[in-house]
Amino acid sequence: METISILPPELIRMVIAVIIIISFLFINAIMMGYLERKIAGHVQRRPGPMEVGFHGILQMVVDGVKLLGKELLIPFNVDRTLFRVAPLLSFTPVILPLLVIPFSEKLQARDLSLGLIFIVSMGSVNVMALLVAGWGSNNKYSMFGAMRAVAQSIAFEIPILLSMLAVVLMCNTFSLKEIVGAQQKIWFVFLQPVAFLIYVIAGVAETNRAPFDLPEAESELTAGFHTEYSGMGFSLFFIGEYTNMFIVASVATVLFLGGWHGPNLPYGEYLGIVWFFLKVYFLLFLLIMIRWTYPRVRFDQLLNFAWKYLVPFSLVNILITAVLVKL
Amino acid sequence: MPPTTKIFKEDILFHEFNATETDYNQRGYHLEVALEVNQVRKFAQKAYDHGFYLVFVTGFHVLPEETEEGTTSGLNGVYQFARYDRLYRIKGHVSVPEDMSLPSICDIYQGANWHERETRDLYGVNFDGHPNLKPLLLSDEDQDFHPLLKEEENLKSLKEVSWSAEVPDSAEADEKDASE
Amino acid sequence: MLESDFQERNRFFLNMGPQHPSTHGVLLIVLEMSGEYVLDPQPVLGFVHRMHEKMAESRPCVGFMPNTARMDYVCALPYNHGYVSLIERKAGIEVPKRAEYIRVITSELNRVASHLLWLGAYLLDLGAFTPILYGFDDREHILDILEDITGSRLTYCYYRFGGVSRDIDDKFVASTRAFIKRLRERFVIYEKLVTKNIIFIKRTENIGVVSPDMALRYGMTGPNLRGSGIAYDVRKNEPYSVYPEFDFEIPVGSQGDCLDRYMVRIREMEQSLRIIEQALDRLPEGPVRAKVPKNIKLSPGDCNFAVEAARGELSYYLVGDGTSTPYRLKVRVPSYSNLSCLPELGRGILLPDLVSILGSFDLVIPEMDR
Repeated sequence: METISILPPELIRMVIAVIIIISFLFINAIMMGYLERKIAGHVQRRPGPMEVGFHGILQMVVDGVKLLGKELLIPFNVDRTLFRVAPLLSFTPVILPLLVIPFSEKLQARDLSLGLIFIVSMGSVNVMALLVAGWGSNNKYSMFGAMRAVAQSIAFEIPILLSMLAVVLMCNTFSLKEIVGAQQKIWFVFLQPVAFLIYVIAGVAETNRAPFDLPEAESELTAGFHTEYSGMGFSLFFIGEYTNMFIVASVATVLFLGGWHGPNLPYGEYLGIVWFFLKVYFLLFLLIMIRWTYPRVRFDQLLNFAWKYLVPFSLVNILITAVLVKL
Repeated sequence: MPPTTKIFKEDILFHEFNATETDYNQRGYHLEVALEVNQVRKFAQKAYDHGFYLVFVTGFHVLPEETEEGTTSGLNGVYQFARYDRLYRIKGHVSVPEDMSLPSICDIYQGANWHERETRDLYGVNFDGHPNLKPLLLSDEDQDFHPLLKEEENLKSLKEVSWSAEVPDSAEADEKDASE
Repeated sequence: MLESDFQERNRFFLNMGPQHPSTHGVLLIVLEMSGEYVLDPQPVLGFVHRMHEKMAESRPCVGFMPNTARMDYVCALPYNHGYVSLIERKAGIEVPKRAEYIRVITSELNRVASHLLWLGAYLLDLGAFTPILYGFDDREHILDILEDITGSRLTYCYYRFGGVSRDIDDKFVASTRAFIKRLRERFVIYEKLVTKNIIFIKRTENIGVVSPDMALRYGMTGPNLRGSGIAYDVRKNEPYSVYPEFDFEIPVGSQGDCLDRYMVRIREMEQSLRIIEQALDRLPEGPVRAKVPKNIKLSPGDCNFAVEAARGELSYYLVGDGTSTPYRLKVRVPSYSNLSCLPELGRGILLPDLVSILGSFDLVIPEMDR
């Protein structure tokens, strides 16, 4: 006990927050996996998982156990270090953005004054993980997927940044807590609808979700950059992808949908998290529905869309915002 | 929609070949052409110029027989063409000579590329001028085995599988009639 | 010049298949690629080659009936139809009217089922995961209807020489009419969610353009040809069975791209429904099978019969020798000629476009390989 008492309380708080966040990540992956399969099922006129547990609730738990028990196949003639490191690279950096997201008025691991920039920079590390996975698999299909992923991520980072900038121009701060605080009277989605739309579309592309899921295009590349992974490596990629989606949805909620603002609850400073999660999961529901509805765009059409449509629109949006703010 | 074949034959001019009109309801095609080996390409070119499409190129195996030029190989090539705009089917057959080679019509009809490869696989007929005569349906190891060649005891003569033969083991047909 | 030098140094070979999610069957396409561009696609066939033509020569003609269904299992009834009609033409057998009507109804139902499967598989290749399940849902109804009278769900062996093997009952007629009504309502859904979808249109418009001259040189038939503007359908051009008695149209496209081939097949499904309705309205009474000798002897000589299968013109060519075993049977399948244009069509295209073209050709590899 003495050792603990001499540690600064801030450090203890951070450690507890990180532990909670990491465990939340796994729970989120389980919930989102279940949600995805159920929604996919109902969109496709079938019930989805129904066997394990009540309406298949325990399906993902059982799947996780199965994946843990699988043999980790390492193909012949791969770069062993790169091959093993890639899933870890995909999973680890996604923990960090969650540290700065304000789940509620008093529930935030750390409020950095440059929180938004921190999130964006962490998001770019994901690309490196894909590239390492594709290269290290010694497989032409994986390399294809990795190259596509790099081009796609680079192309869509700019619209994300620009649409975030529109919000920042209105609040004069990069700190996420203050951005949420500034939305007390009116949510920014009503003031910046174009930026919201661009952010959501570019976010879907950043996380390699359909209709922009070319790096893992099943019918062309037989699973793209994660073709050669089995068992836990594969599931780490997917936990990384779901967490990325969660981050995109949370940042969209924080920037545009008013974060934890909502009708008043007792212990409002802590229970604002309920409204936060409702909004985030509403966005995630939308993202999952979009995946199961639309076909895939072609790669050059994708890049065309990013550079010729999203970037100019977001630039014009910023221009109009800057002019209106000055007035 | 099926037109009268009489009007059609006049503007086709296949009569430079040994062509006979046949009964469509009995045989399913309108014109039967007996070709020599050196007439195959002219026939295909004529068909292409007049807007026919290639239905198939195949063969069948009968007993080799003695003719004036020597022994035939027993293989016969069959070419069938048809039209998109009118109903008219033409069948051309040619007896493959002993060196087992026929001229290829790949440069006229690119679709014949695969048909000729398949015929080579199944029968061993070599097509001169074919750009890529590798096995198509069989594997590379089985190149020299030709499945559709019949064994000795099952071979019949060309006359026995022609229309002129009344019933098996019955009277002879016309020698000159080159129909099947 | 610099660009071609770059292309030279960056060529590599990619094997698409034989196990691949979007080559419908066991097909290997060796792609010589440079970056994302395909320089030379060469299909390699023969993985499912079962030598049906040799099997035809080693058994009596009645024993080949099951083989016809195994060649194209997705749309097996037109294959049945072609073979029994061939033998009937050769042996001069008359088929009763009721049997002909039943043959037409079941063949057209099978054609609709095949197109529904194609629709789902094509959209799955393009990345839309949902329409295949809707298509399969509709297809299940057809399979249930056909299972009641034929006994099989996929590889039908229902026709016999001289007619069909079993008569249809009122339940069949009622369920077919109900199905037609249901499918017409479902077409509205497909129209709204798929045909008018901008992503889908961008993936299929102006891709894989087949000119009429190219189609003629390769001998393409079926919806692939009709997408290029040539209105050739064996049912209208070379009528067989009782097709002359029905009133239906041949949909054609204009440009020959993937979108045209898609639209042709969608409209063909509607025309098939029209044919089925007219046939059900006019169904005559009578026997469903003519008396034929148990051992049909095939007279010496050759014979040809062409039908319109779901993928194009299917021709059977038979050489008989007086016994009941065919001397030579040649099956000319439509997908064989349709795919042979790929080396010319696929030069210099992007890999996703190749996937789109293959899907729009509607290939079934076992029928190609026989």
